[in-house]
Amino acid sequence: MLYIVSLMDKSLKEALMKVMMSDFTPFPLDKSICTGWATNEPRGGRTILYTGCMYQVAPLSAIFDRFIPILSKNRLFYASLLNLAKKFHPDKAALDRSYKILRSISSLLKKNGINFGYMYEGEPYSGAFLLELGMLSDFERYATLVREKFKQQGVKRIITTDPHSHNALSRYSEFITFDIDVVNYMELLREVGIGKKGDFVIHDSCLYSRFLNKREVYRELLKKAGVSFKEDYMVTSKENSLCCGGPLSPIDERVSKRIGEYRANQLKKVSEKVIVQCPFCYVNLSPYVEAYDIAEVIDSE
Amino acid sequence: MNEIWNIAIDRAVNNNVPRVRSILESYPYINDARKKLRQGKTEVIKDISKYVELTIESVKRNGGNAYFARDAKEVREIVDKIVGDNQRIVMGKSMVAYECGVRDHLIERGKDVWETDLGEFLIQLSNEPPSHIIAPAIHMTKEQASKVVRKVNPDSKAESHEEIAVEARKFLREKFINAQVGITGANAIAADTGSVLLIENEGNIRMTTILPEKHIAIAGVEKILPTLEHAFLEVMVQSAYAGLYPPTYVNLTSGPSSTGDIEMKRVSPAHGPKEFNLILVDNGRIEVSKDPTIWESLLCIRCGRCHFHCPVYRVLGSTWGDPPFTGPMGAMWSYVSYKDATPSTYCVHSGGCREVCPMDINIPKVLEKLKSLSQK
Ligand code: SF4
Repeated sequence: MLYIVSLMDKSLKEALMKVMMSDFTPFPLDKSICTGWATNEPRGGRTILYTGCMYQVAPLSAIFDRFIPILSKNRLFYASLLNLAKKFHPDKAALDRSYKILRSISSLLKKNGINFGYMYEGEPYSGAFLLELGMLSDFERYATLVREKFKQQGVKRIITTDPHSHNALSRYSEFITFDIDVVNYMELLREVGIGKKGDFVIHDSCLYSRFLNKREVYRELLKKAGVSFKEDYMVTSKENSLCCGGPLSPIDERVSKRIGEYRANQLKKVSEKVIVQCPFCYVNLSPYVEAYDIAEVIDSE
Repeated sequence: MNEIWNIAIDRAVNNNVPRVRSILESYPYINDARKKLRQGKTEVIKDISKYVELTIESVKRNGGNAYFARDAKEVREIVDKIVGDNQRIVMGKSMVAYECGVRDHLIERGKDVWETDLGEFLIQLSNEPPSHIIAPAIHMTKEQASKVVRKVNPDSKAESHEEIAVEARKFLREKFINAQVGITGANAIAADTGSVLLIENEGNIRMTTILPEKHIAIAGVEKILPTLEHAFLEVMVQSAYAGLYPPTYVNLTSGPSSTGDIEMKRVSPAHGPKEFNLILVDNGRIEVSKDPTIWESLLCIRCGRCHFHCPVYRVLGSTWGDPPFTGPMGAMWSYVSYKDATPSTYCVHSGGCREVCPMDINIPKVLEKLKSLSQK
């Protein structure tokens, strides 16, 4: 079996790290893609709503994943190729959808009386993919810089919106001293909107369900919103639910897709309508099923 | 291959997963057993050299021979010495023997060697690597298996699961009876009594340990447990989590067969083997035992449960990992035994493996560390 990660040689990794450490984005990126959802969010503050740019870049990630092997073959042109990447833009409909989700999260929080600001172009990416690819010393190096960014802005509490950022930020303290409170938006919602009609099945984010103990948090929210969903021991239980394949995308896109399709086929046996809580699960499953983000389901107005 | 694998793995998952669940519900004491077992295994892993010595002493006290092999080559050399000029060898599924290339080595030396576990027998005939740690032929549908058995009986009409099993039984009977050496692995080894425990359902291991004149058990040093009590817990826990509880047979061997029936003088052999040999294998385990994260991989009792709860294994099967090590445990063990960390890069940190592992091994954490090593 060919382990494609070996394609990412040392110098390419260094080049990507350089961009990350200067721009604070997951890959070379036009930053307006990240901030476009926010129109009148207050700037900065002690409590911030943190997007990590995850919803915004998820529709773009496949393009970057395909870009890595090209980069690997053109070592001499890293710098100009990386600049070229800054011109990539996600499909408009996909980007609009992710903006709508972030706005909905923001408005749900406000309805629940939660005050927060947003860091706009100053918001640093969490470094999640370094952690997930096992680039542990790079993750540590990068986390130190991110901590400084938060400190400079006087951030004391971070409200996360996706599982990958939440996981990465929650794990900073394993690597560095980190005393900023990290909380997920779903844990702060007491009231939700009107739930979407239909019979759903939940595809759990692996990180939320098995690493971050949030499984029941969104089940409760769905019940509050009156959303009907079915459980099936072989498909949705804590020990049996499977990954969407997303994390493999930068390593081996083909296998990543096969896992996505496999998972979608399982879910379909329970219901055609699938609820996800992660923008990458959405990208990997939506080619095969009717997928909705949890924010689209608990606040359908 | 993909389509056949999809059918085979879905059948296996749908048979196995609900069965393990119902076993664990019906026999709640297994939950206490696994905790005590983890403690016992941890104690040994933290001090392997001491327990290797204790085990060797105990085996010798029972009149057996015990050896310590640093690597696969030493294992093969020791096996060669024990086998000597004997020709006929039967094997009862041993993953460590596979890891150390024992079967192929003996065949190369012109020996007549037969795997006797049905799954191993099928993959020996089809010349394929094992695809699951306890169900090595899991990738094979019954339709394929029925073709494979025709290699030993071209007239075979076996089609059903039962008929294929009967076909193998017919062929292997004669091999058992005439074998001079039987090679097995070990599920657990008790340091205090020098006993080797083996669980099985087919009866092939019992025959392999009893019928030939010489018995060789080959096992990794991590299979040692402090006491015979722990060793019994191991066989209970392993079989329950493999979905095969109660196991049909538990074989306990403490040295060669003997009798004291004539004037109370103890003589050997009686009906069973006249020689018992235990080979304790390091092959990378002791080095790993010192790593603050990866050491946990040595707690694995090879129940094979993590495989069924892993999305990557469900899709890739035996192509993920270095044989005989597949699935999440295989991504860890490819490193332990072959120092290959690359399989870990396919881990999607789904975490189902950790959820179901009886030894509570933090598999995603071990694989995260291995991913980092794979990049050095
Ligand atoms: S890692 Fe755990 S679940 Fe997997 S085979 Fe080993 S003991 Fe069983």
